[in-house]
Amino acid sequence: MAGLKDKYCIVGVGETEYSKHSGRSTRAMAVEAVKNAMADAGLKASDVDGMMSYQSGDSTPANWVAPDLGIRLNFYMDVFGGGSSTEALVGLAMGAIESGMCNTVAIFRSMNGYSDFRIGGTGVRAAQPVRGLDLAQMPFGMRSAGQSFAPTFMRHMYEYGTTSEQVARVRVAHSTHASQNPKALLKDRVTAADVLGSRWITKPLHLLDCCVETDNATCIIVTSAERARDLKQKPAYVMGVAGRVNKARTDFHWAAGPISRVAGYYAKDIVFGQAGIKPEDVDITGSYDAFTFTTMLQLEEYGFCKKGEGGQYVSSGIIELGGKRPNNTSGGHLCEGYTHGMSMVIENVRQLRGRVDDYCPGWAEGKHSYDYSPGKCRQVKDARITMNLGWAMPPTGSALILHR
Amino acid sequence: MANVEYRGMNLVIPENDSEWREHFKLARGHKLMLRACKTCGLLRYPPSHGCPWCAALGWEWKEVSGKGHIYSYEVVHHAIQPGFKEWTPYAVVLVELDEQRGKPTADEALRIIANLVTPDGKPEAEAKVAIGKRVRVVFQDLAPDFALPHFTLTEEPPIGRVWSLPS
Repeated sequence: MAGLKDKYCIVGVGETEYSKHSGRSTRAMAVEAVKNAMADAGLKASDVDGMMSYQSGDSTPANWVAPDLGIRLNFYMDVFGGGSSTEALVGLAMGAIESGMCNTVAIFRSMNGYSDFRIGGTGVRAAQPVRGLDLAQMPFGMRSAGQSFAPTFMRHMYEYGTTSEQVARVRVAHSTHASQNPKALLKDRVTAADVLGSRWITKPLHLLDCCVETDNATCIIVTSAERARDLKQKPAYVMGVAGRVNKARTDFHWAAGPISRVAGYYAKDIVFGQAGIKPEDVDITGSYDAFTFTTMLQLEEYGFCKKGEGGQYVSSGIIELGGKRPNNTSGGHLCEGYTHGMSMVIENVRQLRGRVDDYCPGWAEGKHSYDYSPGKCRQVKDARITMNLGWAMPPTGSALILHR
Repeated sequence: MANVEYRGMNLVIPENDSEWREHFKLARGHKLMLRACKTCGLLRYPPSHGCPWCAALGWEWKEVSGKGHIYSYEVVHHAIQPGFKEWTPYAVVLVELDEQRGKPTADEALRIIANLVTPDGKPEAEAKVAIGKRVRVVFQDLAPDFALPHFTLTEEPPIGRVWSLPS
């Protein structure tokens, strides 16, 4: 994989408030998130000429959002999809610029993921007829993301001896990180006992193994390294990207085992190959946490530990702030808020800048205490390389490696 | 065109749904029929137009025994679909059929998602659900041309280790 290492970068990031009651349209939220990312980058409306978004019939297209900010587009595209789209769209934005179609691309995701279209299948989605491939699962009461993934998680426990207590430590770590994040929806630290004591959703998932559905919009802006030179922020350079990599049967994951294997098995060679690094070179991971198990499965598949040892890895302290390789330092989807992946890329960009928005009074100038006790700092010291592991479902995933 | 109301869901199969229009109709005859490739002979599920292994487009329906074992499962306690709330806790099982196990590669098999039910069609007791246990297909008739295949436990010896989530 030749790739375009270091030729493109993320120069701006922004988001709206995370809430359960936005009280406004996905268009209004998208406009605010894009505007915040433009201000972060130091870009005017005339500097942005590309826009992309991802959605599943629950958002506003890019060409309705751009005019609200006075942006005239040379390129736009809205793709169908949820998790694992962010990383893929970074790669597509690079391609759009490389091909000469445009110069600077704003990528957004906007959703009333709690108050309107809940991913769990309640809200607007519940009334939709069941047809096509959905007939293979939904008539049997397997509709939500958790219900669709649970047999994968269960099989991993069977094959490798992974325990509920081990994966609960993902929630513990991410709640610790969220307690340092003023934006996070759930700021209270929890223990493994809290996770195991929370009610069952679908076995093996407890309530606290699941993320928090959220209303929000998020945005990142991609441009060339050359264009980035006179912009406001220190760029986060793209070392490697893999987009929507699939296992053999994405239509019906169960047909091609082992079902405890996830798409990272294939994505890792693409993304590490482009970047020319190994897992041990990564300082911070952003392994998608729609569920605690999701984080664990991807970390082991990408080679941060041996296959089957994900349970030990996530319960060892490595993934916590102050550990060797923290994961989702914002609190992620489990605690900060559910964004379909964009927030985890935003967090890693801020980490690479050394300007994570924690409770340190001087965070905006890069002054951090590195005191990881509650309500203090969440900046990782001297973070040089980050990696995002995006998840759509067990057989589909994306990855993005950035460096400062 | 099938248009079936089931547990608050509207199950719709338009006439041009060439994947599904026959599947549930065949199930109504209480036969579990899968598509077999006319070129390489391999069976496949869900019903698809092309062969996942040799890409040939010709296929024919073949009846399978409907016997297999629980390969993985979940037990839903918090139902998303309102019509399933009265059924909780209910087991969703991933059944690996006896035919074509480990073919064409070691990790592949014919696997089907369904509910684990008692012989009279109620959700099986949670304590009885486990990976490795043997099952057979049973049919729930929903309309003159539509039945859902489910599975029920049998007394046959298990396949491999019997395992369930520690309580």
